[in-house]
Amino acid sequence: MNSNPDAIIIGAGIVGATTALSLTNAGMKVLVIDRGNVATGTTSAGEGNILVSDKAPGPELDLALRSRDAWFEIQEDIGGGFELEAKGGLVVARSEDGLRSLRTLTAAQRIAGIDAQDISITELRALEPHLSHSITDGAFYPQDAQCQPMLAAAHILRATKARGGKFVSGANVTAITTNDGAVTGVVTSQGTFNAPVIVNATGTWAGQIAQLAGSALPIAPRRGFILVSAPTRKIIFHKVYDAEYVANVSSGDADLQSSAVVEGTQSGTILIGASRERVGFQDGIDFEILRILARQAIALFPILADIQLLRAYRGFRPYAPDHLPVIGEDPIFKGFWHNAGHEGAGIGLAPASAQLICDGIFDRPSFMNPTPFAPARFAKAAAS
Amino acid sequence: MELRHQVIVIGGGPAGLNAAKYAANAGCNVALLDSAPRLGGQYWRHTGIESDDQSRHHNFDQGSLLMDAIIANPRITIYPNTTIWSASVINGEVVLRYKDGAFITSRLILATGAYDRSLPFPGWDIPGVMTAGAAQSLLKGSGVIAGKRIVVAGSGPFLLPVAAGLSSHGGKVVGLIEAAGKFAWLPEILSLLQNPAKISEGLGYLLTLRKAKVEMRFKQAVISAHADSDGLLESITVANIDAEFHITSTYSINCDVAAIGWGFTPDTSMAGALGLKEEVAADGSVVVAVDENQRASSAHSELHIFAAGEITGIGGSALSLAEGAIAGLAAADSRTNLRDLKKIRRKARRFALTLQRVYPIALGWKSWLTPETIICRCEEVTHAAIQSAFTELDADDARSAKLMTRCGMGMCQGRICSRNVADLLDSPDADRIKGVYRPIISPITLGELAQDGLL
Ligand SMILES: Cc1cc2nc3c(=O)[nH]c(=O)nc-3n(C[C@H](O)[C@H](O)[C@H](O)COP(=O)(O)OP(=O)(O)OC[C@H]3O[C@@H](n4cnc5c(N)ncnc54)[C@H](O)[C@@H]3O)c2cc1C
Ligand SMILES: Cc1cc2nc3c(=O)[nH]c(=O)nc-3n(C[C@H](O)[C@H](O)[C@H](O)COP(=O)(O)OP(=O)(O)OC[C@H]3O[C@@H](n4cnc5c(N)ncnc54)[C@H](O)[C@@H]3O)c2cc1C
Repeated sequence: MNSNPDAIIIGAGIVGATTALSLTNAGMKVLVIDRGNVATGTTSAGEGNILVSDKAPGPELDLALRSRDAWFEIQEDIGGGFELEAKGGLVVARSEDGLRSLRTLTAAQRIAGIDAQDISITELRALEPHLSHSITDGAFYPQDAQCQPMLAAAHILRATKARGGKFVSGANVTAITTNDGAVTGVVTSQGTFNAPVIVNATGTWAGQIAQLAGSALPIAPRRGFILVSAPTRKIIFHKVYDAEYVANVSSGDADLQSSAVVEGTQSGTILIGASRERVGFQDGIDFEILRILARQAIALFPILADIQLLRAYRGFRPYAPDHLPVIGEDPIFKGFWHNAGHEGAGIGLAPASAQLICDGIFDRPSFMNPTPFAPARFAKAAAS
Repeated sequence: MELRHQVIVIGGGPAGLNAAKYAANAGCNVALLDSAPRLGGQYWRHTGIESDDQSRHHNFDQGSLLMDAIIANPRITIYPNTTIWSASVINGEVVLRYKDGAFITSRLILATGAYDRSLPFPGWDIPGVMTAGAAQSLLKGSGVIAGKRIVVAGSGPFLLPVAAGLSSHGGKVVGLIEAAGKFAWLPEILSLLQNPAKISEGLGYLLTLRKAKVEMRFKQAVISAHADSDGLLESITVANIDAEFHITSTYSINCDVAAIGWGFTPDTSMAGALGLKEEVAADGSVVVAVDENQRASSAHSELHIFAAGEITGIGGSALSLAEGAIAGLAAADSRTNLRDLKKIRRKARRFALTLQRVYPIALGWKSWLTPETIICRCEEVTHAAIQSAFTELDADDARSAKLMTRCGMGMCQGRICSRNVADLLDSPDADRIKGVYRPIISPITLGELAQDGLL
C-alpha cells in the first residue's frame, strides 16, 4: 500500500497554498507542511495588492499579468471568500521628473499589454476627491486588484483539502532526505514524510530549507512596515501611490526606501505601506519609519492627518539579489522545486508562479518561458 | 519635547499613586503619568463636582489623603491628560511617547490597571446593556444614573458597590443577579474572616441593598437581551444556571439597563509593547509576571521595570496599594518597611484568591451563544464566523482566528474579545501569553505621528 503523497509542499503561505491547489487540480496527491498554521509567515503581513502597475516590462510583468487573471480564475474555481476586488490603481507624479518617468513607463507598459491610462487632472479628482491639490498628474491602472491574503491562503488550502490534499500544521522541517541526487522526503518535528517531489515554498526562509538538502538559495529578508488606521468612512477609493514607489521596489540599496502606498479596504480601515529596508530579521519598531510613512501619506491625502492610527506592523519580504522570484527545479537535486523569493509581490504573483511550478513538474510547456526565474541562475552567477 | 525622570510611574490609580509616593519618599525624582485629567484611577474616580466626591465613595478619604500628599510632594511631577501611545526600549532606556514628545527613563513602574470583563451573549450589543463598571463610572464620574429600571448582574463582590451605589443615589435596581451560589462563600469563611474590613464593607452594601429592597438572586445569569422597536433594551432573559454555567431554566425581566460585570481583565498592552514576560493567573487572566519586589522580567536586564496593581493579577485596591508601595521602594532601591509591606501584600493576595474561588467564571457561558451572537463588537464578528474559521480554515489559535475573521482587529484591539475568543478556541496558556507585538498602545492621529520632535 502506498499512502505517500505525490508531492510535499513546505510552507502554507500564499505561495505554498496556490502551489498545492495547482498540483491537486493537475491530479497529484499533495501534503502541505508548515511549522506554524496557514498564512502565519510573511503572507499575514502582506497588504494583498495584486499589481501590474508597479512593474516595468520584463519577465516579472509577464508573470504578473498572467497571475492577475489567474486570481480571478481561482475565485471561480473555489468560490472566493477572500475579498478579491479589481479596485484599480492610481499612480501620481509629484514632480516634473516624476511625471516624465511615469509617462515613459506607461508607454512601455502599454506595449507590454497593460491597460495603463495617462489621465487628466479632472479624471484624477473624480477618481480620488481627497487627493492633495498639489498633485496634478497621474496614471490609472484598472487591472490592479486586491485580495485579503490570509483568507486567500486559507480558502485555497481548504479547497485543496476538499479535493484530497492534506495539511499538517505545527511541523517544523528539520531535514530533507536525498538519495542518489534526488529528494526522497522530509523530516519534521511531527515525523517523517516521503514523496518524490518536494516544493520549497518557505518564502523568506527558503534559503534555510535549500540548505537542509545541501543546496543553496540567496534569499534574504527585506523589512517593511505598514500602518493601519481606525475604520473610517470611505475616503480613499483606489490603491494610490507615488511614482517614486516603482523606483524603490526595484532598488538594490540596503538603506531605507519609503514611498507611501495608500488604500482603503473593504473593512473601512486605511492601509499605508510600505517601507523597504534590508536589516535582516530585525525585530522591534523604528518610529522614524512610521513617521516618514505618515508624512508621505498625508502629502498624498491631507485629510489623513486627522485619521487615527490604530496599529503598525512589520513583515519580512523574501528577496533575491536580482529581485526576481525563484521558480523551478533545484540545480543539484532532482524532484526538489523552489517557489520562493517573491519579495513584495508574492500575493500578486502566487497563482502564476504555482502554474509555472506545476507545468515544470509535469514537464510541459507553460504560458511563458520560466528560465529567468530558474534557481540555477545563482549557481551560474557564483561560478562566473 | 524630551522629558527625563529618575522614576516614571504610568497610571494614577491606587497602585501608581502609592508607587510614586514611596519612590519619592525614598529620595527619587518621580513623574506620575495618567491619561485621565485627574488622579485616582478606577477606584478613586472623580466626579466633576468637588463636594460630591466623598458622598459617592466610602473610601474616598483615604484616596484624598494619598492624592493630596502626592500633589504636595516636591519630588513628584504629575502629568495628567497624558496618554502614552507607545513604549519601547532604545539604547538601554525606556522611551514612552505621548502626543507632544517622549518621556525617558531607566526605571519604570507600570500600573495601568484593568478594565471590565464582558461575556458575550445574544443581545449584549443592544444599547442599554453595559458593563457594571460603565454604570459605576457614569455614577462616579458624571453623577448619572444609567436607567429607570436597572438590573445589575454578573459575578463577584464588585456587583455589590455598583448596585448599592445606584440605589442609594435614587436609581431603581430591580434585581441583583449573581452567578455564584448564595452560600458559595461558606467554605472560605475562615479565610474571609481574616479581612474584617472587607467583610464589613460588604455588609454595608448588603444593608443598603436591603433598605432599598433590591432583590438578590443567586445561581442565575443574564443569557440574552431583547430590544424594543426603537432598538433599545426592553427586557432580558435570565437563566438558572448550574456550577458549570449551563442553563437549567429561564424567565424574563423588563428593564432598560442591564449593568453586567464578570470581573476584570488586566490591561497589559503597555507591558506587551515592552516585551515583558506574561503569565496566566489562577482566574485565567493574562497578567504581567513579577518577582518578590514587583519587578517584571524583560529581555533588557539593565532596565528596572516594575509592575503593580491589577496588571499583575486582579485583587482590588488594597492589594494594588501594597504592590504599588513595594514597587516604589524597589525602584528607589530602598528597603524601608519592605517586610511589613510584603506581609500586607501576602494577606491581600490570599484574600484575592479566596474571592476568585468564591466567584469562579465557568466556561458554560459558551452554551448561551447562538451562531448569530456577535463575539467581536468592533468588527461585528459572529460566533458562527469564528466557528467556521476554526472548522474550515484551520484557525484553531487566537491569532489565526483574528487574521481570518478580523475579530480583535477593530478599535479596541481585542481588549474586550480576545480572552473570550481564546476560551472559545480552548487555547492553551502558551497561546494566550504569546503576546502579539503591538507597537501602538493607544490610537494617535497620523498628523500627530508625522510631527517633528518625536523620537
Ligand atoms: C509589509 C509587507 C507588505 C506586502 N504587501 C504585499 C502586497 O500588497 N502584494 C503582494 O503581492 N505582496 C506583498 N508583500 C509580499 C508578500 O507578503 C510575500 O511575497 C508573500 O507573502 C510570500 O509568500 P510565501 O508563501 O512565499 O511566504 P510565507 O507566507 O512567509 O510562507 C512561508 C511559510 O513557510 C513556513 N516555513 C518556513 N520555514 C519552515 C520550516 N523549516 N518548516 C516548516 N515550515 C516552514 C513558514 O511558517 C511560512 O508559513 C508584502 C510584504 C510585506 C512584508
Ligand atoms: C469601573 C471600576 C470600578 C471599580 N470599583 C471598585 C469598588 O467599588 N471597590 C473596590 O474595592 N474595587 C473596585 N474596583 C477595582 C479597583 O478599582 C482596582 O482594584 C484598583 O483601581 C486597581 O488599581 P490600579 O492602580 O491597579 O489601576 P487603576 O485604578 O485602574 O489605574 C490605572 C490608571 O492607569 C491609567 N493608564 C492606563 N493606560 C495608560 C496609558 N497608556 N497612558 C497613561 N495612563 C494610562 C488609567 O488612566 C488609570 O487611571 C473597580 C474597578 C473598575 C474597573
